[in-house]
Amino acid sequence: MKQKKAQWPWHVLTVLVLIGLAGALYYATSLMSYEWRWNRVPQYFAYQAEETQRAADISTVSELVRKGGSAQVTLRNEAGDEQHLTVDENSLQFAQGDDVAEGDVVGVTRHWAAGPLLWGLWTTLWLSVVSGVLGLLIGLATGLCRLSNNPTLRDLSSIYVELVRGTPLLVQIFIFYFFIGTVMNLSREFAGIAALSLFTGAYVAEIIRSGVQSIARGQNEAARSLGLSAGQSMRHVVLPQAFKRVLPPLAGQFISLVKDTSLVSVIAITELLKSGREVITTSFSPFEILFCVAGLYLLINLPLSKIASRLERRLAQSD
Amino acid sequence: MIEVRDLVKVFDTRGQVVRAVDNVSTQVAKGEVLVVIGPSGSGKSTFLRCLNGLEAFDSGSVSIDGLQLADPKTDINAYRREVGMVFQHFNLFPHMTVLENLCLAQKVVRKRGQKESEAKALALLEKVGIAQKAREYPSRLSGGQQQRVAIARALAMDPKVMLFDEPTSALDPEMVGEVLDVMKNLAVEGMTMVCVTHEMGFAREVADRVLFFDHGKLLEDASPAEFFDAPKDPRAQAFLRQVL
Repeated sequence: MKQKKAQWPWHVLTVLVLIGLAGALYYATSLMSYEWRWNRVPQYFAYQAEETQRAADISTVSELVRKGGSAQVTLRNEAGDEQHLTVDENSLQFAQGDDVAEGDVVGVTRHWAAGPLLWGLWTTLWLSVVSGVLGLLIGLATGLCRLSNNPTLRDLSSIYVELVRGTPLLVQIFIFYFFIGTVMNLSREFAGIAALSLFTGAYVAEIIRSGVQSIARGQNEAARSLGLSAGQSMRHVVLPQAFKRVLPPLAGQFISLVKDTSLVSVIAITELLKSGREVITTSFSPFEILFCVAGLYLLINLPLSKIASRLERRLAQSD
Repeated sequence: MIEVRDLVKVFDTRGQVVRAVDNVSTQVAKGEVLVVIGPSGSGKSTFLRCLNGLEAFDSGSVSIDGLQLADPKTDINAYRREVGMVFQHFNLFPHMTVLENLCLAQKVVRKRGQKESEAKALALLEKVGIAQKAREYPSRLSGGQQQRVAIARALAMDPKVMLFDEPTSALDPEMVGEVLDVMKNLAVEGMTMVCVTHEMGFAREVADRVLFFDHGKLLEDASPAEFFDAPKDPRAQAFLRQVL
């Protein structure tokens, strides 16, 4: 009889190993005399932006109403024209009846604004989504072309896949931006997305092709024998089954794509990594910021793989 | 109804030339049940697959109700919807329920509405005796049940002809009977059928004619009584001595 052993001691060991590693890391950095300043990090996610409010003309403060933290200031110039300003109360520079010169700062208004790291995260997100969707469409079309009976479609798609898979993405991004981008006058975002989606498309094409080929021939034959055309059979019978099979490698490809968007920082698209590096130059806290950047990539990718495995389980209900 | 003339199918793989169907001519009348018998590799399955164009033949002609299969003007999909086919390995669509399996082609090819196709599907499932499994996925069904669903799926298209490619060869012995019963009922109802099978009992009982194939050649074309009791061809005599 097979004995069922308790699993929890091993999980405890795992936690101990992780704690040990973290402790070793902490000790190593403490030897390096690096000053950790995590308190500086939040401002790069979101901060209170200040907008200064200035007087338009030489005038006097004719009216001043304080209300719940803000102050409404009315300025009147010699001609009798009025200017109304609302500023934060604690930034108010004048009192009732004061004279104000043209361009004087009356006060500031404050509002929350997204910091560079959040903007970088947003750029990375939309770059990933747009190139992911385009890559999926390109890959689907190319994958089906590789399975086509038409020799031209087959050859062209094979050449595309081999060219893209055989060259580094970084080189492709440079070529797209500096060569094709210059010739066709493309914006850097367009060049970046084009390079990323063509790169992803080539890999997705191979994933789709292998998935379609893994579906037993009898499935297509059964569909065709019922009178479905080749396209209908592909759409209703083969692709749904193939999709289920290629979901894990497809999810892996999209996770790769999210990470690969960091490469377009070389053509000065301010995505997550580039914003992180810009923040480092002003904050002088390279380690904290780099850890944050890595954490933000994880924040995108962990849910992505969670969604994929959930989808996989839902599609498995017919097994 | 089915007219086959000088049908030739040659497989040429790496220099190995096999004449899988070698100059076969025959015809099937409306309502007739044809059973095709022969040793493995005799070309009987290939012959059957040529009848609905799953296998492209090299020369000769196949026609159903005067519609020529090899004619480039013939819409192969329109041709196939008149010819139902049942496979050895069922080939049900595993990602769809039994009901969806039966409705897909009705909707996509025959353009029937949801209600109409479901009513038709349920009636057919009732007929093959598994109406209670309509909402199940094929993987939950036994082999015999799957094959009956496959028959119902082909029938849902209202075909003029049914082709059976060894429908009981992949089944457990105790499930063969239920599938053969469905086929017998079909024959009684007057369906035109061509069956490739190793079930000699079925051939003797149901067939109007028996075709015997070996090495791609049609060696014997006779009534079951004639074929089983007094086969003329020496190869058919040897074959029957082995299987009976």
